[in-house]
Amino acid sequence: MDETQAVRGDIVENRAVAPGHFQMSIRLPGSFPTPVPGQFVMVRSADHEEPLLARPFSVYGFQRRRGETAVDLLYRTAGRGTALLSRLEPGARLVVLGPLGRGFAPPEGMKKVILLAGGVGVAPLVFLLRSGRLAGTNACTCYVGARTGEQLTGLELLRGADLHVCTDDGSRAFCGQVTDLLRRDIGGYDPPETMIYACGPSPMIRTLGRLLGDRPIRCQVSLEERMACGLGACLGCAVAVRGESGRKEYRRVCKDGPVFDLREILFASPGGAEEGQQNG
Amino acid sequence: MDELPNQDGGYHPVLAVEIGRLRLQNPVMTASGTFGYGQEYTPFVDLGRLGAVVVKGLSLERRDGNPPPRIVETPAGMLNAVGLQNIGVRAFIAEKMPQLRPYNVPVIANIFGETVEEYRRVAEILADCPGIGGIEINVSCPNVKQGGITFGACPDTVQEVTGEVRKATCLPVIVKLTPNVTDVRDVARAAEAGGADAVSLINTLTGMSVDIERRRPRLANVTGGLSGPAIRPIALRMVWQVVQAVRIPVVGVGGIMTAADALEFLIAGATAVEVGTANFVRPAATMEIIAGIEAYLVRHRIGDIAELIGTLKVDAETDAGQAEGC
Ligand SMILES: Cc1cc2nc3c(=O)[nH]c(=O)nc-3n(C[C@H](O)[C@H](O)[C@H](O)COP(=O)(O)OP(=O)(O)OC[C@H]3O[C@@H](n4cnc5c(N)ncnc54)[C@H](O)[C@@H]3O)c2cc1C
Ligand SMILES: Cc1cc2nc3c(=O)[nH]c(=O)nc-3n(C[C@H](O)[C@H](O)[C@H](O)COP(=O)(O)O)c2cc1C
Ligand code: FES
Repeated sequence: MDETQAVRGDIVENRAVAPGHFQMSIRLPGSFPTPVPGQFVMVRSADHEEPLLARPFSVYGFQRRRGETAVDLLYRTAGRGTALLSRLEPGARLVVLGPLGRGFAPPEGMKKVILLAGGVGVAPLVFLLRSGRLAGTNACTCYVGARTGEQLTGLELLRGADLHVCTDDGSRAFCGQVTDLLRRDIGGYDPPETMIYACGPSPMIRTLGRLLGDRPIRCQVSLEERMACGLGACLGCAVAVRGESGRKEYRRVCKDGPVFDLREILFASPGGAEEGQQNG
Repeated sequence: MDELPNQDGGYHPVLAVEIGRLRLQNPVMTASGTFGYGQEYTPFVDLGRLGAVVVKGLSLERRDGNPPPRIVETPAGMLNAVGLQNIGVRAFIAEKMPQLRPYNVPVIANIFGETVEEYRRVAEILADCPGIGGIEINVSCPNVKQGGITFGACPDTVQEVTGEVRKATCLPVIVKLTPNVTDVRDVARAAEAGGADAVSLINTLTGMSVDIERRRPRLANVTGGLSGPAIRPIALRMVWQVVQAVRIPVVGVGGIMTAADALEFLIAGATAVEVGTANFVRPAATMEIIAGIEAYLVRHRIGDIAELIGTLKVDAETDAGQAEGC
């Protein structure tokens, strides 16, 4: 496998695509390995000492064209780090660490593929769809949701797929959450022939866990957790999973993930303790 | 020592230092818990060029650690509440040591336990493992209840733990001190009295951060250990104090990001340094720091790093710890 690299990147483009949402394109050295969909990069400004740590972002797009290599990110401003990134101009210098983590596994002959995206969770799924890795599956259905109609981003890149859209505030299309859309249709999918790829905020992933319940549909989810190293060294990005023999174990989102089998994940209940997805 | 000319007329200063019987080819080690078991950093770091690799804290049995979120960034630093998750000392020897041995770099096993007996047993198990260059006793973890904190805060207990580990192994023993005490010198002296070959300091400072919108702690564990540049002045002060309080070598740890930072500690009297949080920011930080120290010695025409260590020039007649400027 190609090794992870820490490289200098230059911002080619960094523009608002929706309120609080940005798309950034970063020029990289040609030696940068091609990421697998679902993999991520850690990014920080090369010219600022604060914030200290790089921030993780899923790969939204990747091109090698006319000798130029570039990675695209889709991000929303969540705090200090992303606010700083959003203010950087084309030409600004970044440090990019990647590609990191284990990406999505191909659908392996499944007849039906479902992409389920909440908010900027659409980023790795767009890359997955456009990477050609889903080729061979007959049908791909995308469920995409955002808080508001304005914040629905990346839809143009999902053209050609069977697209179902929703917004939390009902300002565009169906009023509700992607999991509501999926619930409506779930009975029509044949579990052994279906693969779900999902990425979105934790409440969405948790609801998805409950929705699928005991249905034997395979579901790969990309998780988020705070990260320091991105390399599997600091153990900061722990997620609780059901290990062998059913006992709780922590895995590293950065190294063992970020893509996990939904069935492995133990969700934290609001009280703090972990609970199994089935009995949530 | 005189300048050592080489082919291109430059100098090759001597970077090697000694910690007890442990010889390091240069004074730059990794800080426990920030470098995994070494392998994670091989795309960026030639492990064979490090002074030593200090691995994640090991206990007798594997440990799960704390629930997430475990880390949060704070001004010029970060809080962590990983909670000493590790694979256990036997799995470390079986699975990780074979990957580390080919690099021919001293591996320092950072160890901890919940009882004095557990510390002793972990040390015993490591005692005749080939490739282990030394043991660093973590008496200072602020994260695990009834864990490190009680050991590190009490000089008598530190002396006892050090003595037990000392008896269990012939390997060089480094005691890693916690800054969360009233006077770190008392604990350093206790470690020396217990038979330590060296002390390293500082471990993280206990801290906390609150999300005011949700009125919740940002770490599931509520409190965590502060590391990074924010703690460097405190670490440096404590190192300087301890250098004057003990005769054994002192290893400086805390917020070292660059060669200049490392040199501050060496000048203040540290024989070696450990680099922690910097590895997260720049994965090749240790390599840059080694190169930077060498460049400094060349620039200042210092032939041997020993000529630099502990050469802080203090003008006023100040005692360590009395220079608060208040
Ligand atoms: C593998 C992975 C892929 C990601 N991909 C994307 C992406 O494609 N687009 C995108 O916009 N965001 C993505 N994120 C989330 C992004 O990393 C965080 O939003 C970002 O780190 C926040 O940094 P900040 O300094 O702006 O916010 P902070 O000030 O650090 O925090 C603001 C808020 O964001 C939360 N937060 C902080 N760090 C993370 C994190 N690592 N993951 C989730 N929440 C976090 C905090 O709990 C807090 O509520 C991804 C995260 C991971 C782990
Ligand atoms: C994520 C993390 C995990 C750590 N784990 C350990 C550990 O297992 N044992 C230990 O003695 N110190 C541990 N430490 C403390 C560091 O080794 C070091 O003493 C501290 O971080 C200060 O140095 P720094 O500012 O260069 O990071 C850990 C620090 C961090 C940030
Ligand atoms: S971020 Fe350090 S182990 Fe995952």
